[in-house]
Amino acid sequence: MKQFQYVHPSTQQSVLDAINKPGTKIIAGGTNLVDLMKRGVTAPDKLVDINRLPLKGITATKTGLHIGALALNSVVSEDNLVVEKQPLLSMALKSGASPQLRNMATVGGNMMQRTRCTYFYDITMPCNKREPGSGCGALEGFNRMHAIFGASPQCIAVHPSDMCVGLAALDAVVVIAGRKGERRIPFTGFHRLAEDHPETDNHLAKDELIIGVEIPDNNFAKHSYYLKVRDRQSYAFALVSVAAALDIDNGTIRQARLAMGGVAHKPWRLFDAEKALIGKPVSEESFKQAAQIAMQGAKAYQYNAFKLKLAPASITEALKHASGLV
Amino acid sequence: MTSKNSCIEPENEGNLTDATRRDFLKQSTLLTAIALTPAPLVKAAENGWDEKIADVYEKVPVNIEVNGVKHQLSVEPRATLLDLLREQLDLTGTKKGCDYGQCGACTVHVDGHRVNSCLTLGVMVNGKKITTIEGLAKGDQLHPMQESFLKHDGFQCGYCTPGQIMSAVACIREGHANSATEIREYMSGNICRCGAYPNIISAIQEVKEGGQEV
Amino acid sequence: MKIEITSMMPPPADGMSRVDGRLKVTGAAKYSAEYNIKGVTYGVMVGSTIAKGSIKAIDTKAAEHAPGVLTVITYLNSPKVPGYQTENTAAKGMLKIFYDDKIYFNGQPIALVVADTYERALYAASLVKADYNKEQHQTELKSNLNNGVLPYSSKDYVRGQEDAYKSAPVKIEQEYILPTEVHNPMELHAIIARWDADDKITVWDKTQGIKSTQKSIAQAFKLPPDNVQVTAPFVGGAFGAALRTWPHEIAAVLAAKVVKRPVKLVLSRADMFTSVGYRPYTWQKIGIGATADGKLVGITHDATGQTSAYEDFTEGVVNISQLMYASPNVNTRYKIVSLNVNTPTPMRGPGEATGAYALESALDELSYELNIDPIDLRMRNYAQTDPLSGKPYSSKFLNDAYKLGADKIGWSERSQKPGSVTKDGWLVGYGMGAGMFGAYRSSATVTARMMADGTLILQTGVTDIGPGTGTAMVSIASEMMGIPGAKIRVDLGDSSLPPSPTQGGSQITATVGSAVYDACTELKDKFKQLNNGADSADYVGLLKQHNLPQLEVTTLSKNGPEMGKYASYSWSVHFIQVFVNPATGVVKVNKAVSVADAGHIVSPKTAASQIKGGSVMGIGMALMEEVVIDHRYGRLVNNNLADYHMPVHADIPQVEALFVNKPDPNLNPMGAKGMGEIATIGVAAAVANAVYNATGKRIREMPITPDKLI
Repeated sequence: MKQFQYVHPSTQQSVLDAINKPGTKIIAGGTNLVDLMKRGVTAPDKLVDINRLPLKGITATKTGLHIGALALNSVVSEDNLVVEKQPLLSMALKSGASPQLRNMATVGGNMMQRTRCTYFYDITMPCNKREPGSGCGALEGFNRMHAIFGASPQCIAVHPSDMCVGLAALDAVVVIAGRKGERRIPFTGFHRLAEDHPETDNHLAKDELIIGVEIPDNNFAKHSYYLKVRDRQSYAFALVSVAAALDIDNGTIRQARLAMGGVAHKPWRLFDAEKALIGKPVSEESFKQAAQIAMQGAKAYQYNAFKLKLAPASITEALKHASGLV
Repeated sequence: MTSKNSCIEPENEGNLTDATRRDFLKQSTLLTAIALTPAPLVKAAENGWDEKIADVYEKVPVNIEVNGVKHQLSVEPRATLLDLLREQLDLTGTKKGCDYGQCGACTVHVDGHRVNSCLTLGVMVNGKKITTIEGLAKGDQLHPMQESFLKHDGFQCGYCTPGQIMSAVACIREGHANSATEIREYMSGNICRCGAYPNIISAIQEVKEGGQEV
Repeated sequence: MKIEITSMMPPPADGMSRVDGRLKVTGAAKYSAEYNIKGVTYGVMVGSTIAKGSIKAIDTKAAEHAPGVLTVITYLNSPKVPGYQTENTAAKGMLKIFYDDKIYFNGQPIALVVADTYERALYAASLVKADYNKEQHQTELKSNLNNGVLPYSSKDYVRGQEDAYKSAPVKIEQEYILPTEVHNPMELHAIIARWDADDKITVWDKTQGIKSTQKSIAQAFKLPPDNVQVTAPFVGGAFGAALRTWPHEIAAVLAAKVVKRPVKLVLSRADMFTSVGYRPYTWQKIGIGATADGKLVGITHDATGQTSAYEDFTEGVVNISQLMYASPNVNTRYKIVSLNVNTPTPMRGPGEATGAYALESALDELSYELNIDPIDLRMRNYAQTDPLSGKPYSSKFLNDAYKLGADKIGWSERSQKPGSVTKDGWLVGYGMGAGMFGAYRSSATVTARMMADGTLILQTGVTDIGPGTGTAMVSIASEMMGIPGAKIRVDLGDSSLPPSPTQGGSQITATVGSAVYDACTELKDKFKQLNNGADSADYVGLLKQHNLPQLEVTTLSKNGPEMGKYASYSWSVHFIQVFVNPATGVVKVNKAVSVADAGHIVSPKTAASQIKGGSVMGIGMALMEEVVIDHRYGRLVNNNLADYHMPVHADIPQVEALFVNKPDPNLNPMGAKGMGEIATIGVAAAVANAVYNATGKRIREMPITPDKLI
């Protein structure tokens, strides 16, 4: 790892001042950044440790929940308010990483984690995300873990987070601080597709800081489920994951939220499938139809064709669990 | 994690000098002069200079308490807590199994919470209390989890064991040891290649059911 | 340096706790990288980024100029390794590190950076840049099966008639693939090398064989073996990966000579995938035929495994088909293919585990074809004498093992019709697979010394990589001498101790245990002489009476000639119950029972652990382990523990280990047989067979990941 400078500011302003310089990176939990630095994927000149900022809080507001960007994944997953109001988020968090890593990783850091695409991590391999213009190793390579939605010929990597899939489903809003003040963007608009700029994962500007996420109150708490399908039972990234939340009235679906992980460059919200579920009875048939709709536009590569089957099966399965059918 | 003693603080508000070693070298007229001399001389000189410069510009002071013992260290920001423990403090009970947060052998408690020390920068635990496997027993009296691992043969080669035990203690403290299934999930961040998993689960269950304080 | 290991607890009914356990649970056990050696420096290896060709240019300048760097060693400046020069340079053999510009595989070490701190060495290593003359590489076995050759001094095996299965009334013919698996012990391979004089060196090294490491280093550097001190009292797992002295060990010794300071070299996890061997990718084809009532007519077993371009590696993949069942006709063919990969090395249950995966899967397929219960089919072809040699077995109680295991797992609940049982929406299936491995005994020397205070000290050079060798030694000595384990101390893992074999091949309890047995017998005789020919266990009193500070014997113990009369094997059978999610293809092992016929069980607690551990490794083999190479680059793409999956806690149920526990009357005085290998051999087939029973899907390419079942 390259030598770097380390600073530890105590105010938001000094963080914003510090990050507005080339070669600077923010560090919070470090679970992904330190990993990337060890492999030489990124080599900042300066790290700005933001752990002194008062951004750990989880509070109920008039309209929902506010979760500070520095709240630890483990803390959020067990927080009473979260478990009671947004169990889907808790489930998604608990299915990610390991207890130790969740004790380090923060909400903001989780959002900022990079893809786990193996070509991105091996600096001897081509990767447009790591080194724009070098090519995509995965496109014609080992792409078993890769995207089936919204991929670009430049990059077929997926976003690895579970938490983000939950937040995308739950209509969360990201609160961002910049030098000109705060702004809010929908969670589904935070991450971006690779398109022609796979090196850019999201819409956070270089001189901005995530300070929290807000989740509006909803009626999904009783019927939420996070399903993660992976190569081993724990401590593995998703082949496919599904966040499913239903608002059910007397056997009929009033509202639905669906998002997937492991299928796209960003947490993949299934708006059309959600719409198709509204007004439908709780039944395997309804769920299978929604899953079909969700798969429109899916495209597989050499080693990930199984996702075309696994994804709809997982959507159906998650909805069955969420609705109480199983 | 604000340390009370500001003079041992890692660089504060970003207001210390920005001069990295490279900047310093660039500015050094002496080295510019040396650059014109034969290579072996340059190397010797550079090495000499590098050591001194590095000490001043690349290291930062860190105060940590490990197993109740206070340490004042001077560390490179890139040094991980794992390497600090093993290479600087000779606390080799904490193991390196992967160095990327993928195995759990390096698990220690920071302010009572289990973390992967291989992904923790030493500078980021300034002012914190670290507990490693060496700090778990009270003198000759083993921690109940250590006793239980012995009794249930919760290990074979012993290499992942310190991490397993630190994680197991945390697992109970966190309240995640209420069933075998829950323990398995909450111990899954600790890989054991010898396959001692069944015995580890038995060991943890016995401590949990025994109700001893962990 | 010797580590004193003293047992702290009296042996409970289920066996003694590990005598080195206290050191392991307190973090006091020191593994090879953990010795605080004065003036130590840090080595970091740089690997090639092409799979075949040569180094055109290598730029080490930036690395050499980086802070704290003491040297950068490449083939251009490496001191000559004397042992390399005298060998026939054209012959195949161990990779010679920093020897020339040739590149044989991706990740091959091309440089070693040594610096005063680990961080500095690691950073400087990233500054080494190489240019290559690239040549077309081959890294894929599947597309190179036609290039298989018969290994040197090996030949095809035929018993009875070749390919007789083809004429059988009921037959199956299938191909099975086991991809490359990596040992991945949790401890990274590590060595600290310190030259104590120009011709004297001490290494703290991760090795399964103290004596073999001593010999290898002595040969490489042309030193008298006694001038090479090897220390390894604790080894953090190995499973075969530390059976030989690898190039990085030679590199560390070289580097210590260059920098004139001790050098510590710890492999990275990525290095572990390309520097210390692996279980090779192996293609197999089995033809097996039987009469309608399930009598085997013939077995034909073909296998082709991969090896490196510089060295031939072979293992007993097809042997199990020659040995396991009473089939009148058996023929086997085994080939290897040289690829641009590093050399494989035996991994737990070496070739037999690979072969048993195919044979025991094929037998399962045949059982469905015949509609005969898989255990029943095996019993109808139970070998009463060794089919290979015709010799009687020194002992075989596999039939007892079948029964024990079947009862324990609830085999009677199994449906013969695949895919017919569900529980809570999951498909339920049962499978079984058997294993066998030669029960060996070689020679070892043990010193047994009774001290005036009644402490018995046992000394031998063997390493303990995890099975609990020291604990077994104490158990045996405790019984022999009639003293509690707490009064017995063991010194292991040091080249200055009496010689013992390499820990491997499931022979240590039979060999070192016998040596302990023999040494104790001899020591008791000595005490008997002191006591005028009468037996006495009052060792303290006798020493005091004769004014002796201690009494000691050093005993060489080895096989008797009568061994040749028997065929000796350990046997195992593994039972697995799986739940398979029909929607997602997720497989959960819900129950696992392994039964071993390993003779008399010397140390019940540690033996049970070893059997359970072997099952875990087999479950990994069946469900998740697979090295993936991007053949365009000939480079591994999952050389880390997040992408190369090994089982975690959540994958493993409360595996049960059972023992027939009947002594082998012929192998050694304790009646013990080995069990390290049989713990894994047969497990993968049991899992695959259970998945078939649950789903009706026969997956013939491991691992059985969810994508293969949907």
